[in-house]
Amino acid sequence: MTHQYRILSAKLHAVRVIAALLPIITLACSGEKSAAAKPATEKKSIRTLTLGAYSTPREAYGRSILPAFAREWQKAASESLRFETSYQGSGAQARAIAAGFEADIAALSLDPDLATLEKAKLVTNDWRKAANGGIVSRSLVVIGVRPGNPKNIRDWDDLRKPGIKVVMPNPKTSGGAMWNVLALYGSALRGLTSAPKGDSAAAQRLIQDVVSNVEIMDKGAREAMLTFERGVGDATITYENEVLVARQAGKPIDYVVPKGTIVIENPVAVVDAYADRHGNRAVAEAFVRYLASDSAQAAFTRYGLRRAQGETSGIAPIPATAFTVRDLGGWNAVMAVVFGPGGVFERATEAATKRH
Amino acid sequence: MTVQVRASPLRLTLRAAVTAYVGLLAVLPLAALARAGFASGLGSFWASVSSPTAVDALWISVWTALVATVANVVFGTATAWALVRYDFPGRRILDSLVDVPFAMPTLVAGLMIAELIGPASPAGRWLDARGVPIIFTASAIILALMFVTVPFVVRAVQPVLAAIDPAEEEAGRTLGAGPIRIFATVVLPALAPSILSGALQSFSRSLAEFGSIVVVSGNIPHRTLTAPVFIFGQVESGDLSGAAATSLVLLILALLFAVSARAIHTRSPG
Repeated sequence: MTHQYRILSAKLHAVRVIAALLPIITLACSGEKSAAAKPATEKKSIRTLTLGAYSTPREAYGRSILPAFAREWQKAASESLRFETSYQGSGAQARAIAAGFEADIAALSLDPDLATLEKAKLVTNDWRKAANGGIVSRSLVVIGVRPGNPKNIRDWDDLRKPGIKVVMPNPKTSGGAMWNVLALYGSALRGLTSAPKGDSAAAQRLIQDVVSNVEIMDKGAREAMLTFERGVGDATITYENEVLVARQAGKPIDYVVPKGTIVIENPVAVVDAYADRHGNRAVAEAFVRYLASDSAQAAFTRYGLRRAQGETSGIAPIPATAFTVRDLGGWNAVMAVVFGPGGVFERATEAATKRH
Repeated sequence: MTVQVRASPLRLTLRAAVTAYVGLLAVLPLAALARAGFASGLGSFWASVSSPTAVDALWISVWTALVATVANVVFGTATAWALVRYDFPGRRILDSLVDVPFAMPTLVAGLMIAELIGPASPAGRWLDARGVPIIFTASAIILALMFVTVPFVVRAVQPVLAAIDPAEEEAGRTLGAGPIRIFATVVLPALAPSILSGALQSFSRSLAEFGSIVVVSGNIPHRTLTAPVFIFGQVESGDLSGAAATSLVLLILALLFAVSARAIHTRSPG
């Protein structure tokens, strides 16, 4: 009996091992294929430029901007250019670069993540002096709703109504979700909601009421959008580009731009320490300049983002009542007041979620 | 009982190699974690693990892991029993299926559960209409944990059960004992160590589970935010020493449970 069991179990074990290895084998094969494409061009001098980016603009970079810049560089400098790219959450990417992932260029979702690299003495140039203040793309915080907007959600105050289910990512786990909270907070402070203008306590109550309607706090913006697409919730606080990309993919989702909202600004900078070490300064700086060009800007807009400057054709202009982080006192101020320990967001969340 | 052996050079080398191996793989990272946890002093360690959100997150992790483990003990032992003692069509397939959760990234397990009982699914709508939604509640956490850790108890119990001589049970039957009595007095004592070992693995793994839970639980502080997801949040917001501190508490809890369970087991006769 025991013996029999052992043979059977050995056989089954082999089957199991093969079954478990299958995905790895498949991956390895597909990996070989893409690696095989490289050596053909490797005879001439090839320069490698490494881009560490957050995940949202992956398609814009991968499909349009990187190949186009490589062609331009080939023409201008008669040198083949190959990109190595990494895409992940903005905060995680900043930490990876700070921990030694030697990206020549950092494209992140928000200013504080670039500040991580400045603190680590990796970014030493004054990137805000670049074209458009170092910003390469923009978006808006919006409210995603079900097709036809059945719950008639028009503005932030509608999200605090009892019974409205809201989906949003957690600013603790997703740096990008801070934009969402700032949109709420800033709108309230600037008198664009039912909260009296300049009343910080009323602004905190608005956040508290909205958070108490939040059933799911997803890990990141994309996950929250997937949850909403899966049928959870009446509304989702998200970015305009997330909705536009979902709509391009045929997902039935509508959105409203609240009266008060924040303009999301995504910065890019040359990582001086690594670019110098790789002898890539010239090409890295050229790349950052190229991002401000019309063709790169147009590429961003094809994937739902807005141009860094001026209006973007095909989408409604940014409302005059929209504001930026600078209007709220800058990132240093909001990081302390809103997201710091004991800050507005923490107090609002504690009040909204403590056990009843 | 430990067997005393003479120390030969080969044995000494082996011992040194094993110590170095475990040291490199387990102790060194743990030491680094402890160092990071206490990096900003005892005060800030205490502050980060005693915040209401942290305490609730740890508590939710512990109780959902306990419930999932108890469920695994019952159903896992029953599954092992069925697989070893009965021959039925599809038994081999079932046997292989037990390992599926291990071969799958737990994130995928979470997505699967969300698809299955999410609000857009027929099952989800059915549950919702009856006022017992599972997704985005503690029940979803337990369900995910049960799925992810089910192989532990089954695979711990199965070989031991296969090695038990059915003659002992037959002897019990001949002496007039009913099936329940036979199970309780003959089978269970023999299985207890393996059940305990499977249960402890299942429990520790549950305490640490992240991938599936972050998808199915909703992650609301004080309600469905578990310790690993809370720790992930601390990492993502740059609070590395806080994350290390909470992780240490989680590890200490797992160790305490393991040590006390083993102590109870050795004290009880059997």
